[in-house]
Amino acid sequence: MKKILTLLFLLTLPISLYADNDAPKGIIKITPRTAPPLSLENMDGEKFTLSTKNRRWSFVHFWASWCGPCRKEMPTIQSVIQAMSKDNIDFVIVNTAESEDTIFSFLGAVAPEINTLLDRDGLATELWKPRGLPSTYLVDPDGQIQYVVIGGQDWQKEHYQTFLRQLSPAKLHDKP
Amino acid sequence: MISRMNSVSLHAKYPSIFLLLISTLTSSNLQAAPERYVIENPKLKMVVIPRTAQQMAAFYEGREFPVKAINATGDACFFTIGIHNKSQQILWLDTDKWTITTAGGTLSLLSRAHWTQRWKELNLQQRFQSTFRWTLLPNQLDFQPDEREGGNITLARINTPFTLTARFTTKIDNLDEPSIITFKNLRCAP
Repeated sequence: MKKILTLLFLLTLPISLYADNDAPKGIIKITPRTAPPLSLENMDGEKFTLSTKNRRWSFVHFWASWCGPCRKEMPTIQSVIQAMSKDNIDFVIVNTAESEDTIFSFLGAVAPEINTLLDRDGLATELWKPRGLPSTYLVDPDGQIQYVVIGGQDWQKEHYQTFLRQLSPAKLHDKP
Repeated sequence: MISRMNSVSLHAKYPSIFLLLISTLTSSNLQAAPERYVIENPKLKMVVIPRTAQQMAAFYEGREFPVKAINATGDACFFTIGIHNKSQQILWLDTDKWTITTAGGTLSLLSRAHWTQRWKELNLQQRFQSTFRWTLLPNQLDFQPDEREGGNITLARINTPFTLTARFTTKIDNLDEPSIITFKNLRCAP
């Protein structure tokens, strides 16, 4: 019986480690607010619209090549996208107001696997009111921004990935 | 505590604006790298770096800004500001409450509305306007504990020394006792 209880405890640990006010450093729980619209084309000309249809969390990240921390952070985002390709979260990467040439040369150098959305005039980004660049939002399956991420983070670190993995519709609806 | 020092790697701690500006400097710019001014107390650390017109032109030229816009930036005096909230409380930034004092009186920072109007007059493409706005220090921000943010402030170019007084409060309504940081004898970089 003791072994079973220990096992149950260990299985639930990843979720209990990250109560709302105990997110990893730099991830801030906010009073939920509806995510602004986001409908943009990616580098291949394919249109993407953020919606609640998929019932998944979204990691919405705004960046620009001139932002120093973006250069450092982007490879770690590429890594986490690859590591979490089978997880219940969509990664939505948005470049803010830069030319395609600039974006191609930047991503080619630092994160060639990332296909970013192009906010050509920067207006979509402004609707989200980021604190600065880079800026990341975690949007729940109901389209509510639940967390903001301050500054660039090293998303390859295990505690960030553990935190992202424990985000799920189940957790959202478990809340009172 | 206040200190003045030449360019060091402190900028690496602050988001976007420090690295972006410094990374675009040419070697000739670096030879003329201006001083930085640092004030630190138990609650926060604030860094002010005067930027030369040449530095700003190089930065915006690197972002493909048209010449007319680059020339317009030359009319203003730029300072890159870095702020680190070292406290465990939220500190409110509200640049409308900051003051610039010269021997002849007080001046206002150039507002975002000023720049929007200027870009409208120059018919500047929206994407450049957006990039420019991102390089400015937020007008109002609730600095979270341990948060670091940076950006530029601008004022009409003047040749005389001035004092920048920055105020931070723990409430947005500014009713509590503000933390006041004063940088004396600042000058626009040429």
